[in-house]
Amino acid sequence: MSTALAHPAHRPGRVVSAQMVAMAVVIAVVAIFVLYPIFYLLQAALDVGAPNVRPPTAYGLDNFSALSKYWEIMLNTLVVTFAATIMALVFGFLTAWILTRTNVPFQRTLEQLMAVPYYVTPLLGALAWNFLGAPESGFINQLWRGMGGHGALIDITSAMGIAWVMALFEGSVAFVMIGAVMKSMDPALEEASQLVGAGRWRTMLRVTLPLVAPGVLGAAIFVFAEMLGSFSAALVLGTPARFYVITTAIYQFVSQYPPRLPLAAAMGVSLFAVMFLMLYLYRRVTANRSFVTISGKAFRPRTMDMGWLRWVLFAICALYVFLSVVLPVATLVYASVQKLAVAFPKADNFTLDNYRTALSLNAVRSALSNSLVLGVLTATIGVALTGLLAWMIQRSRLPGRGVLEYIVMFPQAVPRLVFAFGMMWAWVVLPLPIYGTFWILLIAYLAVFLPLGVRTISGVIMQLDKSLDECGQVCGASWGFRLRTITAPLLRPGLLAAWLLIFVASVRELGASILLMGPDSKVMTPAIAEAFFSTSSELTAAMALIQTFVVGAAMVLFMLITRRAAGVRA
Amino acid sequence: MTTMQAGAQTPEIEVENLVVRYGAVAAVGPVSFNVEQGEQLTLLGPSGCGKTTTLRAIAGLERPSAGAIRIRGETMYDEARGINLPAERRGLSMVFQSYAIWPHMTVFDNVAYGLRVRRNSAAEIDEKVRKALDLVKMGAYAERNASQLSGGQQQRVAVARACAFSPKVLLFDEPLSNLDAKLRAEMRIELRELQHRLGVTSVYVTHDLEEALAMSDRIVVMRAGHIEQSGSPGEIYNYPRTAFVADFVGSANLISGRLRPDLATDGRIALEADGGNILYGDPHGRRPGPNPVMSVRTVHLQLSVAPPAASVNVWPIVVRRAIFLGDLTQVHVDWGGRELVIRQTAAGTLAEGATAYLSIEPGHCVLLEPE
Repeated sequence: MSTALAHPAHRPGRVVSAQMVAMAVVIAVVAIFVLYPIFYLLQAALDVGAPNVRPPTAYGLDNFSALSKYWEIMLNTLVVTFAATIMALVFGFLTAWILTRTNVPFQRTLEQLMAVPYYVTPLLGALAWNFLGAPESGFINQLWRGMGGHGALIDITSAMGIAWVMALFEGSVAFVMIGAVMKSMDPALEEASQLVGAGRWRTMLRVTLPLVAPGVLGAAIFVFAEMLGSFSAALVLGTPARFYVITTAIYQFVSQYPPRLPLAAAMGVSLFAVMFLMLYLYRRVTANRSFVTISGKAFRPRTMDMGWLRWVLFAICALYVFLSVVLPVATLVYASVQKLAVAFPKADNFTLDNYRTALSLNAVRSALSNSLVLGVLTATIGVALTGLLAWMIQRSRLPGRGVLEYIVMFPQAVPRLVFAFGMMWAWVVLPLPIYGTFWILLIAYLAVFLPLGVRTISGVIMQLDKSLDECGQVCGASWGFRLRTITAPLLRPGLLAAWLLIFVASVRELGASILLMGPDSKVMTPAIAEAFFSTSSELTAAMALIQTFVVGAAMVLFMLITRRAAGVRA
Repeated sequence: MTTMQAGAQTPEIEVENLVVRYGAVAAVGPVSFNVEQGEQLTLLGPSGCGKTTTLRAIAGLERPSAGAIRIRGETMYDEARGINLPAERRGLSMVFQSYAIWPHMTVFDNVAYGLRVRRNSAAEIDEKVRKALDLVKMGAYAERNASQLSGGQQQRVAVARACAFSPKVLLFDEPLSNLDAKLRAEMRIELRELQHRLGVTSVYVTHDLEEALAMSDRIVVMRAGHIEQSGSPGEIYNYPRTAFVADFVGSANLISGRLRPDLATDGRIALEADGGNILYGDPHGRRPGPNPVMSVRTVHLQLSVAPPAASVNVWPIVVRRAIFLGDLTQVHVDWGGRELVIRQTAAGTLAEGATAYLSIEPGHCVLLEPE
């Protein structure tokens, strides 16, 4: 058969397409963003040569063996992390169970309220709980002494206090993860157990718990890794009393004079290694979940009728929202309008000076606008970048996409403070005049929020039927045309959600910003943390509330714009 | 008999030693077949047999690992020459199992997509879309939002969209499997008529025998990535080549035994079944292997109360069970120590334990090729 010869003017199919170019660029950018700082972090940790000479004149493990002198910090870290993980899991399991499996009243409203602590941010929470629970000046302790008690009822600056704040404001991921497992459980599995004669409690013990266990274990590992890398609460509550955990110790080593950078790097690498191991374990635990809990069938998880107990359960959820949202915000508002924050109101103590001062500070104004501009830039570029990445990982037949997924998820295992430390090193040596400017913050944000964006958008892509794109392909549309007419419009809700998440995350970012911002590129959250140490805590409260208000307003504005745009289209 | 037109014309689609691998597992192949111009070919087989993978490889949605695919003589894919055209440059069209109707567009925009890609003028687009929608009786729905359509309507829009830009080749990936039985029977006829009217070459993938028999000029039965048999619907049905085809393509009784060349006459062969009964049948030009097996469709066995006139392939039997299936009754009988299954109409009198005569027309007993 010589049919091929009949058409000699045949163009081979292996041309460099727009798709290939876009992918190559994305992979290169991601590799530079993520791996380059890690390389410098490792280099710094192994540097045992003359200080301040780069590249290092000698390599060795001395920095790591020196860590043993700081066993107290390691012990603190472990105590705080374990306590916070256990508290977060108890909150998470209890609220997830109440909201998915019982007939608690106002279930939908409560579920929406559960996301609010995330927006309150750990820094805000720590500032507020410092007002409430500081051993001397804390409102709760003032009230306690006012009622005739002695000493301090609670001490929020203790290990347990720090863990409490971390669990309240960073533990919501436990609720989300455990809730997802409970929601995805087929009620038929429990009904089958009851049909063969097992009672409700026996069913709970023998069927429900084993089914939920892998999900809870996964959440436990994930939360533990999160808490290990947690920074804000320990910074605000622990540092003044010289109580250090590993992240605040790293910050201390980097920011003190003279800095002890190799030691900080060694600590960072050790922390990174442990977190990496935890997240690897997490992946193993969740990947091996061969349980048939998740099926394509649509079902509602069966809810238990709790009788009058449901009001008790409601009270538990309401208490959580009160402790993590209402009380902290109210405390900050109350403290911010006082000259000296005290529990008992006095007419001549009230003032609006804190707001006047905060708004007149040049540092605050420029920091606020810097933060907003950075947030918009990070979110916009981040959505484009992570959108492409998520698409490549989920849908392309690219050979290296498994590796790409690992690289992209890498920053998840590196505390942002440690990552920023690596970036600091990495970009100082580069001839590009980026260090100490606005742009290094943008690069840092883009890198550390890669996992957030990719995870959010991947979730939406996975729900999208693959053939919607393939159909465009057989209709003859090129990759770019399909992206514009099919993929992007269908992903729009997911992309908008990712935009908002990245925006909020970068505006409230502390760990990376505090190391990377320069004197002319201040951003808001670290400025608040600095103000806490250098000015009055009442002024700090005012600043934190201004930031919260501005971010909230920006979010509302964004939602109004996108809703209007959607309205015009429909 | 195996191909429609054995002329000098270039086949519309040529698939040559195609292999598709997922990692180390060979999902398909090597398989080779041609589809002539205007022919309707069906790939039939159970799930996991590689039929959809083969179709997707033709479309360019699956990357094969070896072989070649040519359409109208043009190489779309050739491993040896390093050619692999992306799907968008193959000029085919496809109807997907999930319909893949874009929910964010109107019906009109869905159907117009391929025309817009080809930069047709607005007037042309309008005319061709109307024509395509009229073809599937969806003309009144052009301005509807695609997300408001029922399953059957989505199916029609998907067909209109696939035809609108007048492709020369249409691919169908189990397009009817998500419809209910009644609608499926209707759409089957409509699709067949549509194919005839458009004179388009098509490759159709299904696991449904009736669909395959009704829709195709030629059927390719696939099993575990290989072609088991290829031929016209009548040939596939009446002369299954292997036990797999006999079993998959409608129900059949498979009878094994040993050949009795001493009894064979008039081009017939005689098989002494394991129970001792002698069965005369048609070798269909096939050479028997060491363990010959004959296949008889359940509807080709006759039960009668009175002895039939035929001289061979007649046995008295006892009814074991009779199951009423609606249009047919399925009767299980004892035949030389084994069970045979008969499906026929009007078997009302044959209750359990009844005696009757079983007869089989020797032409319906087909020798299978050795596995």
